[in-house]
Amino acid sequence: MDMSLYRDLFVSEAKSHLSAFDELIIHLEEAAGDKEDINELFRHAHSLKGMAATMGYEQIVAIAHLMEDHLGLIRSGEAELLPELTDLLLEGGDLLTTLVTSIESGSEASLDCTPLIAKLTAYTHTDNPDANTTSRKEEEAADLHPDRTTSIHQFRQSDSLNSIRIKTETLDHLVNITGELITNRYRLAESIQLAGATNICNEPLHQLTTLVRSLRDEIFKARMLPFSVIAERFPRLVRDLARKQIKEVHFQIEGKEIELDRGILEEIAEPIVHILRNAVDHGLESADERVMTGKPFGGTLTLTVIRDKDYIEIIISDDGRGMDPVKLKTKGVEKGLITTEQAALMSDQDSFQLVCAPGFSTAETVTDISGRGVGMDAVREVVHGLSGILTIQSEQGKGSSFIMRLPMTVSIIHVMITRSGKFEIAFPLTVVNRTIEKRKSEITDESGRLFTMLEGEQIPVRSMRQALHLPETELTDDILQPMLLCNVHGTLVAFTVDSVSGQQEIFIKPLRSPLSQLRGISGATVTGDGRVLFVADVSEL
Amino acid sequence: MSRTVMIVDDSLFMRKILRGILVENGYIVTSEASSGIEAMRNLHSNHPDLIILDIILPDSNGLELLESIIAASPESKVVVCSSIGQEQVIQKSLDLGAKSFIQKPFTPEKVTEVLESLED
Repeated sequence: MDMSLYRDLFVSEAKSHLSAFDELIIHLEEAAGDKEDINELFRHAHSLKGMAATMGYEQIVAIAHLMEDHLGLIRSGEAELLPELTDLLLEGGDLLTTLVTSIESGSEASLDCTPLIAKLTAYTHTDNPDANTTSRKEEEAADLHPDRTTSIHQFRQSDSLNSIRIKTETLDHLVNITGELITNRYRLAESIQLAGATNICNEPLHQLTTLVRSLRDEIFKARMLPFSVIAERFPRLVRDLARKQIKEVHFQIEGKEIELDRGILEEIAEPIVHILRNAVDHGLESADERVMTGKPFGGTLTLTVIRDKDYIEIIISDDGRGMDPVKLKTKGVEKGLITTEQAALMSDQDSFQLVCAPGFSTAETVTDISGRGVGMDAVREVVHGLSGILTIQSEQGKGSSFIMRLPMTVSIIHVMITRSGKFEIAFPLTVVNRTIEKRKSEITDESGRLFTMLEGEQIPVRSMRQALHLPETELTDDILQPMLLCNVHGTLVAFTVDSVSGQQEIFIKPLRSPLSQLRGISGATVTGDGRVLFVADVSEL
Repeated sequence: MSRTVMIVDDSLFMRKILRGILVENGYIVTSEASSGIEAMRNLHSNHPDLIILDIILPDSNGLELLESIIAASPESKVVVCSSIGQEQVIQKSLDLGAKSFIQKPFTPEKVTEVLESLED
C-alpha cells in the first residue's frame, strides 16, 4: 500500500492536533487540574502517535509517546502538571510541529530530536500528595466511558463532502469582479438617468442591485474566518513573554468566535503581537512594583473583539502603569517630533499618539515609556491601510487600551463623497462622525490654527483646500461652510470641504507608486462616469 | 459478491487509510461517520455487512454506541478499532457482540488478517 498518498491528510490532521494541544496546555496552566483538558491533551498526543506509527514516522512516535506517558501520569492523578513539565510539553509540541512541517515540505530533513527525548525521559515527577486510589479509579472509568459532549476543545475533522477547498486567490478574484460589478451598476444607473429611461429600467435595475449585493455578501461570507484562527498563538506568546520577564499575567481573549475577512486577519495579526508584546514588556509592572502600588500580584491583559454593525473593534487592555503624557511630550520634543509650543498645546489624548510616530522610539532604548514605541508606527500604518482607526487610551497607574476599529471587509467600503475645487475626495464612514455646517464668525483663528466650538468643545478645523494646495475660498457670514466631523486618533477634527455630495459604496483600489507616496490619500476608485475618486486617510491630512 | 462496509472514526486520516485497505480487500465502503450520532444516522438507511468502529469517539461512550449499533443493525458484523493499552475495552466489546478487533497502529496486513478471519 502506497502510504505517501495519505501524507497530505496526515499533515493537515497532525497540525490540527498540535494546535489544539498547544492551546489546551496554556489553558490548563491557567485552570489547573481541569480533568477534561488533561483527557483531551492525552487524546491528541495519543492520536498523533497512532497516526505517525501508521505512516512510519518514528521520531514523531517517540516524542508523542513520551509526552503521552507524562500526561498519562497526570491524568491518573499520580503527578502534577508543574511549569517545568509544561515547558517541556510545549517544547515537544514545537518540535513535533517542525517535524510535521518538514514532512509537509517534502524535505523530511533529519532533525536532531535526541536532546528533547533525553529531557522528556529524564523528567521525573514529584509525588502528588493528592493522589489516591479512588480518584485513580475514577480516572480509569473516565477513560473507558469518555463523555466529551461538553468539551470546549472538541476536535473534529470536517467531513469531506460538505465543504471544498478553494484557493484564496480565486476568492480574491471573485472580490475584484464583484467590486467591478458594483462600480458598473452605478455607471449603468447614471447612463439610464442621462438617457431619460429611468421609468422603464427602474425595476430591472433594482433587481440587479439586490442581486449584486447578495453576491457581494456571499463572497464576503466565504472569505470570513473566526478571529480564533489567529488568536490561537497569542496565549502561548503572552505566557512565554511573561515567563521571560518573570511576570505573572492573566491573559484573556473575548470574542474569538467573531468573524473577519481573511485579508484583515492576515494583516492584523502582527500588529496585535506588537501591542501584546509591548503590554507585557513595558505596560505591566513587575510583581513587586504592583504590590507596592496596591495592585494584585498578577497583571491582567485582555484582548477583546467586538462587532459593531459593519465594523470590528479589537481592544487590547492592560491594568499596568499607563503612560505619562508629560514624559511623552518631553520625549517628543527631544526627538524633534513636536515643538515646545506644540507640546504645550497638546492634549493628553494626542500625546499618546506620539508613540506611533516613526522614530519616537527604537528597540535599543527600551525603558518604561520609550519601549511603548517599538513597532507602533508600523501598527498604525497597518490599521490605516485597512481604512481603520487606532485609538489609544491611557491612565497613569491604571493601564492602557489600544483600540483598533476596522471595517469587516476589505476592498468595498462605504464612503462620504465630498468636493473641494476640482477634486472629489471620499471619506470612509469608519472615520466620519457626522457632517456639520458653520458660519465664518463661528470659526476662530488662533495664530494660524483654526477652531470651532461644538457642544461646548473646541474642535480643531482643517481645510481640505489647503491640504490639496488649492486657493482658499473667501468665507462670508452668509455662507454655511460644510464640514466633516472625523475621528482622528480618538480626537474629533472638522475638515472643511466645498460640498458634500452623498454616501456611496465604493470598490477601493490601492494606489501604486508613485501615487502611493501621496500623503493623506489611501486609495482611489473610478466612479460610474469614469471620474477618479480619491479616498482620504484623515490621520495624515 | 462484494461486501459493504461503514467506517466510524473521528479521524479523517484513519478513515481514508482504512478505506484504502478495505477497498484493496474487495469491500465497498458505503458510508463513513466521524461521530456516534452520524453512525446511527447512517444505519437508518443502510445496513452494511461490516462496520469498523473506533471505540473512542468525541461524542459517544464507545461501548454504549457498540450496543446501539448492534441493536440497530444486528446483521452487520462489527469490528472494534482501538489502541494499545485498552485491552479491557476490547474484552468488553467482544462480550457485547463485536466480532473482532483491530489494534492501532495497524499495518495493512494486520487489517487484512482480521478481515479474513471474519470469513471463517
